[in-house]
Amino acid sequence: MLLESVAYARPDTVAEALQLLAENEDAAPLAGGQSLINVLKHRVASLELLVDISRLEELRGIAAAPDGGLEIGACVTYDELDHSPEVRSAQPMLADVAGHIEDQQIRDAGTIGGNCCLSDPTNNLPPLLVALGATMVIASSGGPREVAASDFFHGYFATAVGEGELLTSVRVPPLAAGASAGYSTVAVGADSKAIARAAALVRANGTIEEARVVLACVSPIPARHAGMEEALRGRAAEPAAVAAAAERIGADLEPLGDAHGSAEYRRAMARVVARRAVCQAIGNGGPQHG
Amino acid sequence: MSTTPADTAVEIGRSIGVSVPRREDRRLLQGQGEFADDVWMHRQGYAHFVRSPHAHARIVSVDTRRALALDGVYAALTGEEVKELCESPFFQIAPEPAAKIAEYPLAVDKVRYHGDAVAVVLAETRELARDAAGLVDVEYELLPVVVDGVAAAEADAPLLHEQVGTNVAWHGVFDWGDVDWALENADHVVEIDHLHFHRFSSTPLECNAAVVHWDPGTDTVQVKSNNQMPMFASMVIGPTLGVASNRLLFASQDIGGAFGNKIGSYPQIAALALLSRKAGRPAKWTEYRTEHMLSCGHGNERTFLDTRVAVMKDGTILGFKTRAFDDAGAYLHYEPLGAVIWSQVSCGCYRLKHLHVDYTETLTNKCPTIPNRGYSRLQHLWLIERIIDIVAHELGFDPVELRKRNYVQPDDYPYETPNGCVYDSGDLPRSLDIALELIDHDKWRARQRELGRGSGKRIGIGIGSTLDSGTNNFGQARIINPELPFSGNGEAAYVKLDLYGEVNVNLGTTPQGQSHETTAAQVVGDVLGMGPEQVHVTAGFNQQQNTYVAFSGTYASQFAVTGLGAAKGAAEKLRAEIIEVAAFALEADAEDIELADGMCSVRGDQERAIPFIGVANLIYANNAALPTELRERISLNCRHVYVPPFEVPDPDKKRGNLTLTYASQIHACVVEIDEDTGHVEILEYAAVDDCGKRINPRIVEGQVHGATALGIGAALYESFEYDGDGQLQQASFYDYHAITALDAPDIKTADIESPSPFTPNGAKGMGEGGGAPLHAICSAIQDALGDQDAIVSDSHNPWERVWWLVHSGERGEPRGVRVSAQAAASAEGES
Repeated sequence: MLLESVAYARPDTVAEALQLLAENEDAAPLAGGQSLINVLKHRVASLELLVDISRLEELRGIAAAPDGGLEIGACVTYDELDHSPEVRSAQPMLADVAGHIEDQQIRDAGTIGGNCCLSDPTNNLPPLLVALGATMVIASSGGPREVAASDFFHGYFATAVGEGELLTSVRVPPLAAGASAGYSTVAVGADSKAIARAAALVRANGTIEEARVVLACVSPIPARHAGMEEALRGRAAEPAAVAAAAERIGADLEPLGDAHGSAEYRRAMARVVARRAVCQAIGNGGPQHG
Repeated sequence: MSTTPADTAVEIGRSIGVSVPRREDRRLLQGQGEFADDVWMHRQGYAHFVRSPHAHARIVSVDTRRALALDGVYAALTGEEVKELCESPFFQIAPEPAAKIAEYPLAVDKVRYHGDAVAVVLAETRELARDAAGLVDVEYELLPVVVDGVAAAEADAPLLHEQVGTNVAWHGVFDWGDVDWALENADHVVEIDHLHFHRFSSTPLECNAAVVHWDPGTDTVQVKSNNQMPMFASMVIGPTLGVASNRLLFASQDIGGAFGNKIGSYPQIAALALLSRKAGRPAKWTEYRTEHMLSCGHGNERTFLDTRVAVMKDGTILGFKTRAFDDAGAYLHYEPLGAVIWSQVSCGCYRLKHLHVDYTETLTNKCPTIPNRGYSRLQHLWLIERIIDIVAHELGFDPVELRKRNYVQPDDYPYETPNGCVYDSGDLPRSLDIALELIDHDKWRARQRELGRGSGKRIGIGIGSTLDSGTNNFGQARIINPELPFSGNGEAAYVKLDLYGEVNVNLGTTPQGQSHETTAAQVVGDVLGMGPEQVHVTAGFNQQQNTYVAFSGTYASQFAVTGLGAAKGAAEKLRAEIIEVAAFALEADAEDIELADGMCSVRGDQERAIPFIGVANLIYANNAALPTELRERISLNCRHVYVPPFEVPDPDKKRGNLTLTYASQIHACVVEIDEDTGHVEILEYAAVDDCGKRINPRIVEGQVHGATALGIGAALYESFEYDGDGQLQQASFYDYHAITALDAPDIKTADIESPSPFTPNGAKGMGEGGGAPLHAICSAIQDALGDQDAIVSDSHNPWERVWWLVHSGERGEPRGVRVSAQAAASAEGES
């Protein structure tokens, strides 16, 4: 389908971008455009103004603190995440997941900010950022504010970014000693829609001290599964214990069924990907892409 | 991945069988092709169709005023107006009562599927046309929907075409041999309740497109499109538009993939013609992907109920009985020809003698079906391969041995099937052996046993045995409707020697990647003693410039026989003319003239020679030097129509020789199933092709790869499904996962050549592939399932379906399959 006619602006600074967003009611920031343009082409949403932020240098940097903490500009592309020495060193799973999103052309254009702000429940990065305990930095005319990734996603295509605001960066704290991330997906094909995803962050020392397990695609927003997290705490860091904990995922999930998977299948797959993500985090299980 | 390298060293006159590089690649790969969307006409407008969001509804009103009010909108047409402008609805292939279907270029009174076209708008730009179409106000009154091809046949189902009085588009019983005797005398009868072959399509890279100009000056209609069977389109829309065929001027140049799907663009072309006439401008239309998925046409969906298979103790399968329901969608586009085309391969690769198929084709509130790579045969071949594997699974036969026992054997050829088709040649057991060797069958069988239960993984080995029947006898249409004046087949070609001795070939075909320029140059070059690079081939169909017959086009695996047969025949006529002129000029006997590298010389005396330019000069520009008889008879412009040796089939017995050639494809694969997710990973994949004499092996291998990838995509990923309201669930590539390189395994290929005794070059049509990957992957999944698990009863097996299959035994679900031992039981009772 074709885009409806829409105005386009390319501000030179974040301040100008904010002003354009604040002054125009039906305006939205355009970063890589890999999701937003398709949403507009399908005429699911309609806009008056696209504010192109993709070339704002202020949003394109990756800064690494000595402790391994990262501040990633909202317009950093998937490919840049994948190839950044800082990201690879501090958060190898983030680089790995970004490096397996769709195809190279999309990875050259799609951005971390866009992936989060579109808040499609099948998107790759939101569950991982929640698991890693990331903080989302939002600029507005009143100055910047910070929102935990776990509070950032509000629903299908809805986030904490309000009208006239702009996500400017994502802060990812350093991995604690003994902590490691895992990620697992069941998808339709090698580079297609996800049916169930899970991201995990596990701190273990033979025994699991703390675990975050975030499920995606089974509800409108990525959500930690308290029951499985609780069942993991204090248990041996081994597959059998993880599998037992994953059994806690059950009737509490009410996923939607669609052409790609029934509700029952998604619920079963949520258990599988949660188990696999945690196993991967504790070093039992190969990479799980999709 | 094995790939045959191009071979550039060719001995003059001996290029057939050599992988010469593709002639068309330079042009196509450098962006110099001419595709339908590249066509531009002066003053053209852009058309956009308004399509129904509902599956079944009465059209209360269509109001185009808001669209027409936009600056730059030229014209709009509605169904009501189109009906007034047409001489008649499109003619129907179906007999009564489905012959009463009144289909027009746009929907009249009712819409019958999600995507049915209700109006079309012409505007100055593509964007404006899209926006204007959005302003056409259509009021609908919803009607009940039927999306199930079996339920549609029931008396109380919502009717699509009221004047027909039923949703049954065609019904017939095919009964060959004596299946009741076979079932009574079999040692075992295997009963399979339900098998379902799903809807998908080959989703060509290029969607449909056309530029249509109703020229008021000449009163001709120019149609520049990517329709792949333009003469069929012309036959259908000419009477509807009231335009004589010599003023309906079709042209199809380069086509970006078609697979049969692009036979189906004639309703849109007819609508564009009327729109062009109304607006006084050429109307250009380039289909959107979603529009393509909604309305271009899907492959046939077929359900087989109550299949009963007669099997002897030694594994000999006597035959089977089944009830088939083919879901044709909302209108009959090319259908119900599919209701007979499957019978080209009635017994598949096997010596089954007793067959009974009660066949019903129904109309549903879904996109009309259209031929799709393997058209109508792959559904039936899939049924037979499922039968073989289910019989093996239920009765404990080795699937390899069961196949070999029942295959048509090398000594059987030419083999007449129960319905009178003649399989020309082949060696199925050897093809299977090669395929099994390529996948390392014995190693994986051992690995499968070692793995056992509890590992979370299962290994399965699968085989797909299939036939690519090519060169239709259109007389089979009479089995559907005895009134139809169609039979035989043919293709035309025109070969000439031009002014300066150049050789030019003109074809009537519409290649979409089948390399007609290359292979025609090989065949003609060999006849005339020249390298293929010296032969110029004008590919593409152009009604004003090409020679053609009513069958012209590119479809149904036939070019290697019909197109190249015509090119060969025309080249031989030209060769005879060149020799005759040379013999006069050289004062030699015609029998002593040899052609080599553009020269005609006298055998044994190379000094006595005349080049092709000299021969051309005598005919074109120097004819007073020739005797009157010679110059009046010889033109160096030679047309030939290749006609295969067919007779009219018998419509009553539903018997006859329905196709000339039978290429075979034997595929084998190894899959690993993840029990947790149902994920199917293809560990090994092999395809063994036998298409007789290969004109260009590398081109054959390319088509084998393409057919394999499409089949794997259909088996695991690609499906068009409708919800209960008739909404298509996969109307974009977001939801329809067309297979990509990341999903495709490495494909090992091998070949054997069993030349056809019936064709000009010993070649057979190939390229459709008979859906072999669907058979092979279902077979492998079945093999991976244990004795207690369900049977693979659907051709589409995404991870979720496989997951359900793996766990169905735990759930105690009915398996949908039973074995009874009638003859055996009664024999035991007697002893």
